[in-house]
This record gives sequence, structure tokens and C-alpha cells, in this order.
Amino acid sequence: MKCLLVASESAEVLFYWTDPEFHIRVQEQYGPTSDDGEGPQHAFEDRINTLFAPIIISCSTMVDRLRESYTTFCTESNDIYVLHQFEECLYIAVNGDGEENEDDLRRKIFVIKKLTEVMFGMVTLSSTLLRKELRPQDTEQRRALWRRLQGLLETYSRLREQDQSFLVEAVERLIHPTLCEQCIEFLERRLVQQLNSSAERAGEEVQHAFILVHTKLLAFYSSRNASTLSSSDLLTLMLMVQHLHPSNPEIDDSSPEDIQDTTADPEVFYTPEPSPPEHPADWCSPSVELGRTDMEAPMFQFVDPDIQMAEDSLQTLQMNPPDPATPTRVFLETTLKEGFFPMMPHSMYSLPLWPGITLVLITKIPSSQVAMSIYHFLETVAKLEKRLKDGQEGAVPQRGHTPIQDLRSKMDKFIRVLGNNEIQTSLLQKAWAEFKAKAFSRGGPGLSRQLVPYCRNLHTQLCGVFRQCFVSGSCSTQRLSPSLQDRALTMVQDKLLDWKDFLLVKSKRNITMVSYLEEFPGLVHFIYVDRAAGQMIAPSLNMTERASSELGKGPLAQYIKSKVWSLVGTARRYLQKGYTTVTQRDGDYYLCYFLWFENETGYKLEVVDIPSPPDSAPIGMLAWDYYRKLLRYYSKSHSSEVVKCYELFTMHLGVIPSDYVLQHCSQLARKLWEPSRIPLL
Amino acid sequence: MADSACPTDSRRCNYFFLYDGSKVQEEGDPTRAGICFFYPEETPLEQQELLCGQLAGVCQCVSELSRSPVRLLRLRGSKFAVRMKDHFLWAFSCPPDIPDVSVCKLLDQLISLFCFYNGPIRQSYQLHSRADLALRWARYLTHLQGGSSELHHIFSCLRTIDSTHIDPLLLLKAALILQACQRCPLVLAGCILYRGRVVSTQMPPDLTVKVMVHETESYSQQDHRPVANGISSACGTPSSSTGTTPVFLTPAELQALCCPPVNRTCRSHCTPQPPPRPRKSRLLSRTLSDTPPSELDAAKLDPAPTPFLCLSDESCLSPCPSSSQATTPEFSPLHQSENPCTTDAESHDHDLSNEIASCELEEEVVRGKMANGCSKKVELRMDQSKVEARGDLILQNGNGCHTNGYHQEPASDHHSDQSSGDEPPDTSHLKPLSNGAEMPDKEEKKKKEKANIKKDNQERDENRQANMKNSGRKIEVKDREGVGDGEMRENGMGRGESGEGESSEEEQVLLPRALYQHRVRALVLALLVEPHFHSDQAAVEEVSHSSLASLNGLEAHLRTSTPGGPGPHGPYTFAHYDCIQNTLTTNLSGRSVAPQDRSFVRATALLHSHFSQTQTLQEAIVRSAGAAVYSTRSPAQETYFLQHATSVRNSGIPNHLDSAFSLPNKARHRLLKHGVNLL
Repeated sequence: MKCLLVASESAEVLFYWTDPEFHIRVQEQYGPTSDDGEGPQHAFEDRINTLFAPIIISCSTMVDRLRESYTTFCTESNDIYVLHQFEECLYIAVNGDGEENEDDLRRKIFVIKKLTEVMFGMVTLSSTLLRKELRPQDTEQRRALWRRLQGLLETYSRLREQDQSFLVEAVERLIHPTLCEQCIEFLERRLVQQLNSSAERAGEEVQHAFILVHTKLLAFYSSRNASTLSSSDLLTLMLMVQHLHPSNPEIDDSSPEDIQDTTADPEVFYTPEPSPPEHPADWCSPSVELGRTDMEAPMFQFVDPDIQMAEDSLQTLQMNPPDPATPTRVFLETTLKEGFFPMMPHSMYSLPLWPGITLVLITKIPSSQVAMSIYHFLETVAKLEKRLKDGQEGAVPQRGHTPIQDLRSKMDKFIRVLGNNEIQTSLLQKAWAEFKAKAFSRGGPGLSRQLVPYCRNLHTQLCGVFRQCFVSGSCSTQRLSPSLQDRALTMVQDKLLDWKDFLLVKSKRNITMVSYLEEFPGLVHFIYVDRAAGQMIAPSLNMTERASSELGKGPLAQYIKSKVWSLVGTARRYLQKGYTTVTQRDGDYYLCYFLWFENETGYKLEVVDIPSPPDSAPIGMLAWDYYRKLLRYYSKSHSSEVVKCYELFTMHLGVIPSDYVLQHCSQLARKLWEPSRIPLL
Repeated sequence: MADSACPTDSRRCNYFFLYDGSKVQEEGDPTRAGICFFYPEETPLEQQELLCGQLAGVCQCVSELSRSPVRLLRLRGSKFAVRMKDHFLWAFSCPPDIPDVSVCKLLDQLISLFCFYNGPIRQSYQLHSRADLALRWARYLTHLQGGSSELHHIFSCLRTIDSTHIDPLLLLKAALILQACQRCPLVLAGCILYRGRVVSTQMPPDLTVKVMVHETESYSQQDHRPVANGISSACGTPSSSTGTTPVFLTPAELQALCCPPVNRTCRSHCTPQPPPRPRKSRLLSRTLSDTPPSELDAAKLDPAPTPFLCLSDESCLSPCPSSSQATTPEFSPLHQSENPCTTDAESHDHDLSNEIASCELEEEVVRGKMANGCSKKVELRMDQSKVEARGDLILQNGNGCHTNGYHQEPASDHHSDQSSGDEPPDTSHLKPLSNGAEMPDKEEKKKKEKANIKKDNQERDENRQANMKNSGRKIEVKDREGVGDGEMRENGMGRGESGEGESSEEEQVLLPRALYQHRVRALVLALLVEPHFHSDQAAVEEVSHSSLASLNGLEAHLRTSTPGGPGPHGPYTFAHYDCIQNTLTTNLSGRSVAPQDRSFVRATALLHSHFSQTQTLQEAIVRSAGAAVYSTRSPAQETYFLQHATSVRNSGIPNHLDSAFSLPNKARHRLLKHGVNLL
């Protein structure tokens, strides 16, 4: 029984997701959905709203009157409710089946927050606009958007359950240095170069190109002038790609043996189920199966939109059937010479080479300069607002290069430029005019507290312009031409054709425990993470019905998996309180966790007291990059050197004396240090 | 003892309230109508209403959604343990650093305390005014959070007398007094308290806590005893007084007192077993070295480590989980050798020094034997799985009961050679090893004396069963084992979770009993008795006469023994929690605020809650930049250890030479002298 809900302060449902059990529970409580003319979806939404309204209202009362807010409820049946407020939106995650703990739920909330940031960019900086964005007035649009977010959330939950890289929130690479190097070279010399020199790129510039085999990274290339892609963003992109082209676990189960044996028609195993429920349904996703959508769309046009329908194919319900070559708009963090910009617009093209293997291109769009300006203004206005709230008031100096004068001239110019680009700026102009009238007029109050609401309004209007430029549907015409995309796809397909089957197998057996057993008898499993690079290495743990792993099949393997998962959870819980080493004797196993710092040459640095993450943010890299903050904190006392941070999780048989276990751990850390240095670039 | 006088030193409770939702049903009903009690009472009414209204509303909503009452509610700055029953809602808040289990346990304790003295909650609010009951809530609250350290809050454990500074024979004496009182068929079980601390108890820890409230309360009021609670009668000199208070037991509690699971368990498991040789010697050894109330404390005096012993060998000697038996098994062999003294207990004229002398003698004998036991013990432990260990607990319990004499049921008489009701079943095994020669004689003497008692016992048992049935709860003998087992888990092992479902049902039926109290200055003998005990003049006199002189003697001895500081200090901090007796041994003084101690308490809280969540976890080492803490647990105990001044800077990379990983060894050695055996 799971549920996730985003609500505004006025208890309006901005987004919800429930699993079937929760759905049934609600229906039991209220009787079956009656069609009230607006469809069952609508009725269900109302019920969710009714159910949670008392909690939401109580929450805002507590904030208003006591400056306190709820964070968790636990019931005697061990249902958990986690609540978190971001700005004016309240997020509630519920679990009633014991599959997720409090930390998982909070993490989920942060993940959905991150997803909205990647999807809506700076619009999320204004609660008013975010509310509108999450809950479009139009029912069909709303349904489509929620469907997409729900799908992303489900994909995330699946990956966190199944995939070690999403468990520890670090990128896992395919360990094959030669091929990896070849591919990087290919991406650099051939692909990106050709794309960026083509006339059909419509002003877009490929910044990053990478190849994913399921959730593992084969090769990654960033162009020279590109900002580095943060681990958090890369993981989010991988999540989105997985959502667009899910690796169907059922089908993958037949691998890898089957593939090796039956070379006859491997496609059969890897073709994703063509049934509609499996198909990602989002209106701005590049559905690369050309023609399919167009053909299918009319068939469903006259069907009543009942639930089944909604689940089957949302594409039919969309306003405009998407062009399959349309990229996904993503907002990524960039650090340029001009400064740091948290949510810059990019386009993501995810081109499936074969089922399970995807080429992803991230391009910078031509108008991103506008986004930089908007961010600059937003920052200035926010700083001003804060200063005013703190009581630093005063008259505006009429001359000179004060920040406020700077803002004035730049903003005037910016509005002019926008107007030239046929962008609706009337609201922004109005807000700016009001602001100026208050701040700069001679008889006016100057810089005073009275200006705060005008700052707020200006802030909102700037976000509105951002939305208009980068988020709303009209911007989707901009893209690499379909033929260019096709060419890129073919090029990489040609390059990897011979490797295809190998890669699919390799992604299941990236590294195996067998190769470590001789050296480390008694070692059952380990995970090694380089937090500075955001990468991890771990023997594969395949928990599928049909493929037996080295751990064998069934309950034992499942048990070991659950131990590994709980070890990571435990380690995080202790790390949150400042403990960097944890060893436990748990049942028949001995579990260890270590976190340490090194400089670039591998010299081990001292442990320091570790700060707790603020506001109970989850420890990880996907939704909120705790480790980056940690590294930054640590670097303060080691400003002269590059600091690296590593983590090692190990699981040994309990009969191994703890002395040996610890020796193993230190040898393992030494041994794994090398391969993790394969350059990402 | 030093900190018994500072009740609100560490006030951990931010808020506590009881809200009656049935009073606020209509739209127009003011929230204040539902507030039965709010702490701190000086909180402005508006804020009280706000908190009660919001929390009650939100909990109601959540529990409807989940179809299960809310247990815990967390805010950013604090956490609330919540209990919802009928229309009542209790909420108890503390700072977020106290583990969830501890907060919930505290609240449960508080509620059950109230029910213990006042009966069912709804009924008591019908009978008494809110103001009256508010006073009581406040009293119980103060009692629960009074005067103990943060560690005590984490484990919510009993406060016991610091037996390191007390002659162990005094503790034996206390146990003797209790046993003597139990001869009266109307007495269920008892405990002896000195200045708000347990000296010896026959009750399960939960019950002891409850009994202590009344004691502390009357102690603080010194001579003016409480009249508020009904039949309070007084007699005797100013320094010695008695009184009776009505109390209410849950059927489970009563069952634990009246019908321990043990007889059956023992019969089915003990007898078929080949007579296990090695344990007898240990049985004896513990007899003398280990003293009842807190066997840990006692163990400090004992070079031979004890706690593991009780788990590893099946010996019946253990910090016996359920009920009164905890105290008695250790005591029984002494009882035999000191036969005159036991029988004299009734005539209550007994020279303590005599006892001591003879005990010492025997101790010598036993020490020698102990060596064997120790070496055997290790072997035994190796091949015993945890499951067995668990079984042992029950088993021990079984023996314990037998030794305890008063529980003897007719059925147990098939131990042919121990016809005396007061004799432990193990005596037969014991004879050859302990001072065999003298034993039989004594036994024969005793037999005659005890024959009567046995009869009494039988009658009493019948009475009890009848009582139980009358109370609307039929107790089937067949079920005892199971129930008792469950009960034991609830009392000893239960981390506030097991048996909760049960208790909610049980609480609906509360069985009235009485609490008899006999105070001699700071020493209190508290007995749970049948309700009509008070009216039975003969019984009252029997009990008071049998105990008065001994109590006086005990009090005098306790008074003269110097309290002394906390145990031997070393370059380390440790805490040893006995989950079964619910006691804590530590060298951390309540008020210390050294950074090392702070980090020790923090780590302990974390690890304790980890232990309570993960049943399979056996030991753990956690290290932050400042401190490394080692912890280990068995089904019966948890131990935490921190070594001071090992701040040799390290990198945190795995390294087997790291000082943190030598902690288990250090703990094993250092803690031996505190009587904590981790071997």
C-alpha cells in the first residue's frame, strides 16, 4: 500500500500516485467510483483530496501557529507517513506494506522534487507557478503530465529496488576498458564532431553524449566547452531514459545464457513488449518507434476514457500527438565561466540502438542565454528581498554602479530584447514598472520593507517568462533534424553491432564475485563507491526467477540481497549522525561500512566530524547531493589539495574472524582503487 | 542513591496530555472540554487546545486511513509517542534524540501506572474529578522522569540499589524476608525498596516500577502518608508504619504472579533430561555470589563472570525473567543450609551476623567449584544456538519457580524426594555436590514444618484459580506454558511491542488487588496481596510480625553502609543493560557532561534502537571522528563500551590495526571487574 501526494497549502491535490492496493483501500472506504461525468479519475482525485485534507490543513495550522511541522507518523500496524514541505507545497509519502522505511519515503519525496526541477527548471522557484504547472487546468493535459510523473516514480522505485547503482545512487560503469576507450573516442572524434558541424542541428550544440546498456554506463563524452554533468543530473537522466525505454525485467530474465546459446534470433528476447501499458506515455518524449504513434492514435479516438483506457494509451488523449523526434526538455546544472546556473535548459535525445542499449545526446539550446539572464535577475531580486527583510533599507543612490542601478539598467535592456523576440512580457513589464515606481521615484519609499511584495511579484513574473520561453509546449519545435538523429543512430549502431550481444550479457555480469573469492575467501558481496566521481563498482546481484546468480536462486539470494540493501540503509543512518565506520555482526554475516577521504595521490586523510544534512535530506547523490556538500565541507580544511571520498560496503560470512574481515576490507579498498580511475571523460 | 533526591534534574518530557475525544463530538464543543490532563500545566490554555486539537485530529485522520492507531508522531523539533484507545488519546513528547522505542515504552509505562492505581481509565474519570486525577498523572510523570540519567531514559530501566557498596548478604536477607512473607497465602509477591531503589523484588520489572511509585510518593511525604487513595491505615511507631492501597492488575500480570509457566515447563523438559552435572556446581556458586535484586551489581563482587553463564548453561539460575522467581533461585540453596534461619524468619528474631558467617563459609567451598563450571560453560555456549538460549530462559524460569516454593502445586510433587513445599526440585541434584552430609538432616527437620505450609499452598492455589475464574478469565492449565512464555517475553524481552495487541484487550478487564506497604524509615516492604488481605487480621499480623524485626535489621544495615561513589572508574565508559530484569549497570554518573560521555550516550541511543529494530544483530562497532563505541547483545542483555583517550587520528579507511577494532577485546577484559562477562 503506497501513495505519494503533492498538495498545495489550500489542500488542493497537485499530484498523486498510488499503487493498486492503496487504490483499492480508498475504494473500500468510499465505495466504488461513480462516474460523475468527469470520469473516474476525477472522482478518485476528489477522494484522495478528502482523505488527506485534514492532515494537510493541520500541517499548515501547525506551521502558522507553532512554527512546527509534522515529519512522520507511524501507526501500530507499521504504516509510515512521511511529510515534507518545500516552499508552499506539502509532499506526503505513505507506505503500508513494510517495503519501504522512513528514509526511503523521504528519499522518494526528494526524488519527485528533483524530477520536477529537471522537468520545469526555474519555474519551480515560484510556488504559484509550480502549482499551475503541476496541475494544468486542462484535464487531459493534467492526466498526461501526472501519468508521466507517475511513470517516472514507478521507474525510480523499481530501480531502487533492483539496481545497486540506484541503491547507492552512483553511476555504475561497464568494466571493459578497451571497448570503453574505443567508444569514447568514437563519440568524440566521429559522432559529436559530425553532429556539431552539421547544418541540420538548428543551432543546438551537442554537449554530452553517452551510451547506456540498461542502467550501466558504457561510454561518456563531454565536449570541451561543456560544463561537467553532475552526478545527480546524470542519474536523473538515466532514470528518465529507463522510463522511456524500460528494460523489461521479464524478458531480460532469459539472458544471458539464452542469448549466448540461441544466436538465432536474439531480438525476440529483447524486443520490448509492444503492449500499450509498457509504453511510456508522455507528450514531449521522443518516441523513436517511428510511425507507431501516428498509426495507433486514431484507433483509440472514439473510445470512452475509462480507467483501462487511461492506462492503455494516454497518447490518444493528448492534445497534440507528439512528434517522435521531439527531444525531452531537461534543466541541468551548469557551471560556466559566467558562473553557476542551477537549472539551464537542455534537450535530451534518447535514441534506442537496440532494446536495452541507448544512445543519449544532451544538447544546449540556442536561447539558453535568456535563461542565464533570468537566473541572474532572480538571484539579484532574491538577494534584495532578503536584505530588505533583514531591515537593511535606505534611499537608492541615484548614480554610480550599485547593484540596484545595475539591476535597473540590465532589466530595462532585457525586457527590450525579449520584446524583440516575440515573447509576451507585459506582465513582467508591469511588475517591473511597479517596482521601479516604488524604488526609484523621488518621493517614494526607496529601498524599504514595502518593496518586498514588489520583489515577490517581479520574481514570479521572471519565472513566468522562463516558463514561457523554455517549458510551455510552444518551444518544442526547436530540435536536431530527424534525419540527423537517424544518422547518429545508424553510426553508433554500426560501430557497436558486433558488440551488441556481448554488451547485453556484460551488463548482467559486469563483475562477478567469483573473481574475488580466491583472494577474499568468505567475502559474500561488496560495493565500492567513489563519491567524488559519483561512480560505484559491485558484483552483480541478479535476483530474477529464471537466471540463477552466483548466490544461487531463491530465498538465499533474496536474503543476501535484502541484507545488502539494509546495510546501505543502516550505514546512511549512522553517517547521518556522523559515524563513518560501522561494523555489525548480523545473523550469520559480518557487515562493514567505511567512509574515508583521500587526496588525489591516494594519501589517506584524517576523519573529521561530519555535519548532518540539513532538514533531514536523504543521504545520496540522486535527489540531493549530500556527498558534494560533504566534500566541499572537507575541502575547507584541505584547500591545497583535491579531496576524494570513498565508501566501501562489505558482507562476509560470520564465521570469518573479524581480524580477517578487516584485513580483507583494507585489501579490497586498495585493489578497487585502480579500476575506479578509468577516466570518465 | 545520591541522585534519588533530584527529581526533575533531567526533565525529558516536553509535553504530555490526555485528550478525551468523546467530549468533543459536536461542532460547538470547545476543545478544552476534551483535555483531561496537560503537562506542563502552566502552558497557556490556547496552546493546549491547539496542540490537543491538531494532534488528535491528525491522528484520527491517519488512523482511519491506515485502520490502525497512530503510535508515533514526529515533528521537526520533537517526537510524540501516541496511544489511542477508545476515545482517549495520550501523547507524550520528548526531544528527538531519545529512541522511538524508549519514548513509546515510557508512555506505555505511564499509562499502565495510572491504570495500576486507578483502574480502568474511563471508569476513573467517571468516579473522580479531573483535578484529582491530574494530580495523579503529574505524580506518575514526575516519578517516571525523576532523578535518573539520560541512559536510564533510553532503556527505561528500574533503579536499583547500588549493590557494589552493600554487603551481598543484605540482599540475601531481603530476599529472605520476601519469601517469608509469601508464606501467607494472601500474599502474591513483594519487593523491598530503599530510598526509591529496588533492593530485592519478586515481581516482574514492569510491576516493580509501578509499585515503586507509591513507595517514592509516600517516602517523599515522610510521615504524613497519603489518604487520597482509599483504605490507608496506619499502625506502629512513627518510624514504622503500614498501609494498604487498592491496585489493579491486568490478567496477564496476575497470571504471571499466580500461575508461572514453570511447573509445566519444568516437568516436561527438566526431568527427562539426563541430570546435567556441571550446572549444579554453578548453581551453587551463583547462590552465594549472586544476589537477587540486580544480579549485575552483585556480580561485580564475583570474580566469576555471570551474565553469560545463565544463558549458556541450562542452569536454573538466571536473572530470571518472569515474576518473582527472579530473586529466589539463588537464594534457595542457602535456604537449605541455613535452614534454621529460614524457619526463624517467621519468628523474625534473627541474628544477621550469624548468617553472614555461615554464608562465608560456604562461599569458600563454592568458589573452588566454580572453576569447573567456568571452563565447562564455554563449551556449552559454543554449541548452543540462540534458539536454545531462548528455550533456556523458559527453562530457568521453570526451575526458578520450583525453588521459589510458594508456587508449588500438587502436581509437582512427583519429585518424590522433595516433599517439602519449600524445597527446590533441584535439591536432589544438588545434594551430592553441596554439603551433602548435612542436607538430609535439615531437610527432614524441615519436612515436618513445611507439611503445613504445603497444604496451605495447595489451598491457596485453588483459591487463586477460583479468583481468576471469578474475574471473568478462565485459565486453563494447559495454556499456562504458552501464556507464560508470551508473558515473559512481554516483561523481560519485550521491547514494548510484543504483547501489545494482547494488552489492549486485557486492559479492559482489570483485576483489583491490594498493595500492602510496610515502611521502616527509608526502607519499604511492598507486597501485592489479595483484596481481602486487609480485612484478614490474622494474615496482616502474620506478615507484619514475620517481617518487622528483619526489616528493622535490614534498614539499620543499609543505613550504615556507605553509599560511596559510582563504581570503579577507568579510562572507559560502559553501560550494561539487563533486558530481563530491566536493570542498568554503568560507570557513567548521571550528571557528567564530558564530550566523551555525550558521544557515548548518543551512540548508545542509536545502537539501542538499532538492536530493537534488527533482531538478528549481535554486535556492532560504530566510530565517528571523536569516539568509537562497541556494543554487543544477547537475548538477555545489551552492553555498550567506549574506550577513552584513543583519539589517535585515523583516516577511516579499513585497517585491522585500527584501535576501534580492538574494542571488543578491551571490553571483555575491562568489564570483567564490573561483573559483566562478554566472553
